[in-house]
Amino acid sequence: MRQSSTDKRHFITVSVLVLIGTAVMFWLLDSALPMPIQASIQAQTVDQVFQWTLIAIAFLFSLVVVFMLYTVIVFRRRRGDTGEGEHFEGNTALEIIWTVVPLLLVVLFGYIGVTTLTDITKAQENEVVVQVEGFQWSWLFTYPTDSGEFTSTELVLPVDQPARMEMSSRDVNHSFWIVEMRVKQDVLPGQTTVLRFTPTIEGDYKLRCAELCGLSHWNMLASVRIVSPEEYDAWLAQQSSQAAAITTASN
Amino acid sequence: MSLMSLGIVRGFVWQIAGTIIGIVFAVAMRLMMGMSPWATEPVWVVAILFGSMGFLIGVGSMTDWFKWMVGIDTPMRHGPPKGKPAWTRYFGVDYNHKVIGIQYTITAIFMLAVGGAFAIIFRTELARSGLQFLNPGQYNTFIGMHGWAAIFAIFIGIGGMANYLVPLMIGAEDMAFPRLNAFAFWINIPAIVWLLASLYHGWDAGWTLYPLLSTRGEPGFQFVFLSVFLLGFSSILGSLNLIATMLMMRPKGMSLFRMPIFCWGVMGASIIQLTATQFIAQSFLMLSFERTLGMPFFNPDGGGSPLLFQHLFWFYSHPAVYVWVLPGLGVISEILPVFARKPLFGYRWIALSSIAIALVGFLVWGHHMFTSGYANSLRAPFMLATLLVAVPTGVKFFSWLGTLWGGKLTFPTPMLFALGAISVFLLGGLSGPPLALVGSDLFLHDSYFVIGHFHATIFGGFVFPFLAALYFWYPKVTGRMYNETLGKLHFWIMTPAFWMMSVGQMSVGVMGMRRRIADYDPMLGGMTSSGLSAVEIGQTVVTISAFLIAFSILLMIYNLLNSAEVGALAGNNPWRSRSPEWQIPSPAPEHSYATPIRVVGEPYDYGLPGSTYVTMATAGDD
Ligand SMILES: [Cu+2]
Ligand SMILES: [Cu+2]
Repeated sequence: MRQSSTDKRHFITVSVLVLIGTAVMFWLLDSALPMPIQASIQAQTVDQVFQWTLIAIAFLFSLVVVFMLYTVIVFRRRRGDTGEGEHFEGNTALEIIWTVVPLLLVVLFGYIGVTTLTDITKAQENEVVVQVEGFQWSWLFTYPTDSGEFTSTELVLPVDQPARMEMSSRDVNHSFWIVEMRVKQDVLPGQTTVLRFTPTIEGDYKLRCAELCGLSHWNMLASVRIVSPEEYDAWLAQQSSQAAAITTASN
Repeated sequence: MSLMSLGIVRGFVWQIAGTIIGIVFAVAMRLMMGMSPWATEPVWVVAILFGSMGFLIGVGSMTDWFKWMVGIDTPMRHGPPKGKPAWTRYFGVDYNHKVIGIQYTITAIFMLAVGGAFAIIFRTELARSGLQFLNPGQYNTFIGMHGWAAIFAIFIGIGGMANYLVPLMIGAEDMAFPRLNAFAFWINIPAIVWLLASLYHGWDAGWTLYPLLSTRGEPGFQFVFLSVFLLGFSSILGSLNLIATMLMMRPKGMSLFRMPIFCWGVMGASIIQLTATQFIAQSFLMLSFERTLGMPFFNPDGGGSPLLFQHLFWFYSHPAVYVWVLPGLGVISEILPVFARKPLFGYRWIALSSIAIALVGFLVWGHHMFTSGYANSLRAPFMLATLLVAVPTGVKFFSWLGTLWGGKLTFPTPMLFALGAISVFLLGGLSGPPLALVGSDLFLHDSYFVIGHFHATIFGGFVFPFLAALYFWYPKVTGRMYNETLGKLHFWIMTPAFWMMSVGQMSVGVMGMRRRIADYDPMLGGMTSSGLSAVEIGQTVVTISAFLIAFSILLMIYNLLNSAEVGALAGNNPWRSRSPEWQIPSPAPEHSYATPIRVVGEPYDYGLPGSTYVTMATAGDD
């Protein structure tokens, strides 16, 4: 005997299945989407945002799919039955509920989105400023020092100190992305764009261009070193004296 | 019968002639102006314009108009060609919307195959790190070709569904402007020719064609700009025709809220096409002018702005995504009630949600540009507007569940594809929020996560519903039934394969795989115990899935071709649908409705005893 489709038991079963589905889905998504290491303060915020969306995705996904699979199994036509389904054309209360509840969810995620955005883009004191220039198909970093400036083909930054990249392009659009730092920013000709991040783990990373920029876009890389403050100061001193020596020599 | 009596052959001959005349004209102009006679790009621009015009005249798409200009009358309806085999009408200008709908659909399947072939080529390259058999220049051209070929397939596929179905569904004799309809279809053919021709010189900026990359480099770019311009022209004319048809040609008793729901999807899509296509046309013309006429719209050295292009481009190209999915979502809403034997749950909500999506869609283009370098203060409003799209989209999902709930479901191939479409579109929709939230987008933008997201959206919103539609209306078009076993096999290969592909793409994206790169760092994601790195495993899964999808599509093409001859006769209404197109013989006759129809009930009142949707007026009725 077929139960009426508005029987409470259907909804109790589906609710339980949706909860189980959410947990399974979250576990699946979490293992299918392996995050690279978190090497900046911004990475922690970004990953947090991503985790929240994963929870929402897991829930909404299993909500729809479990309901759908449930109807496929429970409300399939039995052999020999040629009758029609139950006749109901809609339910305004339900429609309002599933308009308003998602709207609240949008407000919640809007709030999360705006506060985290402010968080990862705000200016900080004591920023290390590096001028970044992108061109087909390399990167060049310019460091200001007391005695002028010097350029480098690798990006070296001190750990635990906010860094600000002031970037422009010599030719076409490029994009600055170090996956372990998470955040990225396009690099444009004729305009200076800014990207802030605070590295938290010493080590070697890769800067990769993320905007198609022609033939060797795939290979537009630069090495990135995050070092201790002492090592950074030593590197700065060595680079600027080298630059000074070259300037003197060429004079 | 001579080959030249086929319109399309005449069209191609005229296109070649026009192209040659264009070249001669351009060279002559250059000589008169004291320039060197040959410069590849400007000469080809003129040749493309002349060649396209040549095709449209040669194929005969303007013949009736020319006759009217000189005062020669032509019949309202030309009917099937006289003295020629029936199949020839599909290869020339024909004003019957059913013929045009089939022309569109076949062209769409062809372009789907072209786009898919490009994908298969570079997917094979990407299965392993290292450059195997493509060089980076070829790779960069192929990804752009894949993109535009697929987009052509989508627009043309929607044209096919809309042209065939809308007049039938509203009981109209034809479209409002049958000649404009044919003209709009035939514009696509020279557009396709130029798109394919762009391969010769190559172009390496991807389908988005951002300057300043697209304003330097190979002349292949010009072919793409002008090809897309033609496609857009077709799109504007087609949507104008559809809106006029739906507003003016409904039968007695069919209020807008009693139209079959597919028409609402087409309405939403057409509103966008009619009002937004101008923006991409404009932006591509500006690229073309910048290259040939030296007008620096986008080059900062001449006072232009590279960001200006992105705004113009996405102001159209985001809403365009809704052009691609709204008709498909309409197909889902059309198919579910038939196989659930239940009314469509919340008809008005579904109908209005299409319009809501179309309107909100105009406010969200900036979400493609969160990393572009526009003012930080613009990011929050674009983020909020984007999240808002979830609300009307959610209404559709929940209403579909309401439609299924308490039904008596059967699962022939079209129903399977409709349900598969829901699951895939859900995956696409739900992978949107991480990209809508600026924080996570700064991470995921231009990564493979985005690739996974939009392929799921477009497969769920267009490809799966399009396939569902092919199987569903196949009996009406051919009068015969497709092979159900092969149809189900198609579904059961394609759906799991698509799932693996999408999740695989998102997975490698999170590991740090960028989009549009010919080769990648094999160490992304780290090594696994299998001896392969995580990213290579992901890439291999994606490639294998792509091959499975391609194979399953070939299976369908075989099924549809073969069944047209050997399939069982379908009868008027094999699905027991209430929709008017199923109340007439299959295949649908030359004049669809012998007498006008009248709407006397709701379209989806399955299970309401004694109700009907339409009645055919009998002779003598008013
Ligand atoms: Cu690049
Ligand atoms: Cu968009």
